[in-house]
Amino acid sequence: MLNLLRKDFIALKSSLGLIIIYLAVFSIAFIPKQSSSIHLVGIYTAFASLSLVTMIDIKNHNHNFLVTLPISRKHIVQAKYITAIIFTLFGVLASYGIHSLVKVAVPELNKPDLTVMDILGPIGIVLALASIYLPLFYTLNKKGTGIINAVFFIIILALAQPTAIFMNMINENGFSSNLTLFLILIGILLFFIASCYLTIKLFTRKDL
Amino acid sequence: MNAIELRNLTKTYPQFTVDNVSLDIKQGYITGLIGPNGVGKSTLIKMMLGMIRPDSGSVNILGCDMPKQEVDIKQRIGIVSDDCFYYEHLSIRDTKKMIAPFYKKWNEKKFSSYLEQFELSPKKKIEELSKGMKVKFSLAVALSHEAELLIMDEPTSGLDPVFRRELLDLLADMMQDERNSIIFSTHITTDLDRIADYIAFINRGKLVFSEAKDEVLERFAIVKGDSQLLDSDIRTKFVGIRETAVGFEGLVDNRQEAERLFGNYAILDKPSLEDIMYFTAKGGRIHA
Repeated sequence: MLNLLRKDFIALKSSLGLIIIYLAVFSIAFIPKQSSSIHLVGIYTAFASLSLVTMIDIKNHNHNFLVTLPISRKHIVQAKYITAIIFTLFGVLASYGIHSLVKVAVPELNKPDLTVMDILGPIGIVLALASIYLPLFYTLNKKGTGIINAVFFIIILALAQPTAIFMNMINENGFSSNLTLFLILIGILLFFIASCYLTIKLFTRKDL
Repeated sequence: MNAIELRNLTKTYPQFTVDNVSLDIKQGYITGLIGPNGVGKSTLIKMMLGMIRPDSGSVNILGCDMPKQEVDIKQRIGIVSDDCFYYEHLSIRDTKKMIAPFYKKWNEKKFSSYLEQFELSPKKKIEELSKGMKVKFSLAVALSHEAELLIMDEPTSGLDPVFRRELLDLLADMMQDERNSIIFSTHITTDLDRIADYIAFINRGKLVFSEAKDEVLERFAIVKGDSQLLDSDIRTKFVGIRETAVGFEGLVDNRQEAERLFGNYAILDKPSLEDIMYFTAKGGRIHA
């Protein structure tokens, strides 16, 4: 499993700079204008990074390469879900870090106080998106995956405003007092795990 | 003992079927898998490797069941294909760093010596390699983890004659250890004329025969003669026959019977694997 994660990061080696560029571009685009920029920067960076790694895989016929190595298809899928978690944490925490800095360095932007929901909310949203995206990535062919990447990109752009409203609602209602929000996060986690099992099943049956 | 045992393998596609193939690949020998393009050789190899799931039948490799013991099997086999699916933007060194940790018996010294022998620079990116160089690289990978079984799918199709000879010598070297086995799928049958011990012939998704190469070449014969020798009964004795204005040339799968039938009236030649493949694939009568 560790070797598979290692493989993903070796494959990304020359593109790591691109992830930093994503972070910078989304920060510049959202921080001055959007009140919920902390969520959008985290979600966009995390999902764009996941898309980047899957596109590199698809471009290089990664599945055909991996199945020649001594690893099971189950581990191939599980490793990609762990990669998704790593990118999610990276995107969201990097966004949190940048916003903490901006709050101190540029107080005139009037960024709201950061709460634990500003981390958990975007993590939940990215994991939910990844739960839908990854089964498609492992089931569809090269062309299909290209289409799915484009569709998800459009969905994410369209989700910017609803995300801002949703996150504001969460922040206004508070987290600890609201059992529903807690259940939603647990639900997303279970959805993510179920998605992983489904993807393993689908990918194990797929002809390459 | 058999390195590979295929039993009743079937895979159906809308326009093509691998039909109930049972095949044994002997341990300690080189087996050539021959057949024209698009008859199911690659599908069969992909089923062996677990890349394609058969509709029915079973695959056993080195005594292990595929796909149940897929990981153990892949520790012990090397795969060389003309479709090399490495990350194009990475260098040979990075690709090695990616692959080596997966293998328990990775031999770094061996890998470096193969790179040197094949004149592959570790700094070179995969995308900069020619098709032949990619095959060399995948061969270096396959030979560096002490594989007991090499599965090669059209490995020589993009290679120049010099490296093709080198490759065949390398495979012969590998066979010094009698536990090692090779299955070599190709439509360039001259390579197999040189090194194969056994030949398995696939045509239209079916196994035509799987026999020792020498027995195959003894059993089949090319018959050449005057058209007057042919009648409808005689024509049925041919696996494939090519008729011209002046005579005929055909393949029979029973040399002794042909000798009896034609006596001194026709010429009987020893066929090449290419002749066997050509006439079997074409079948019936061919007019030239």
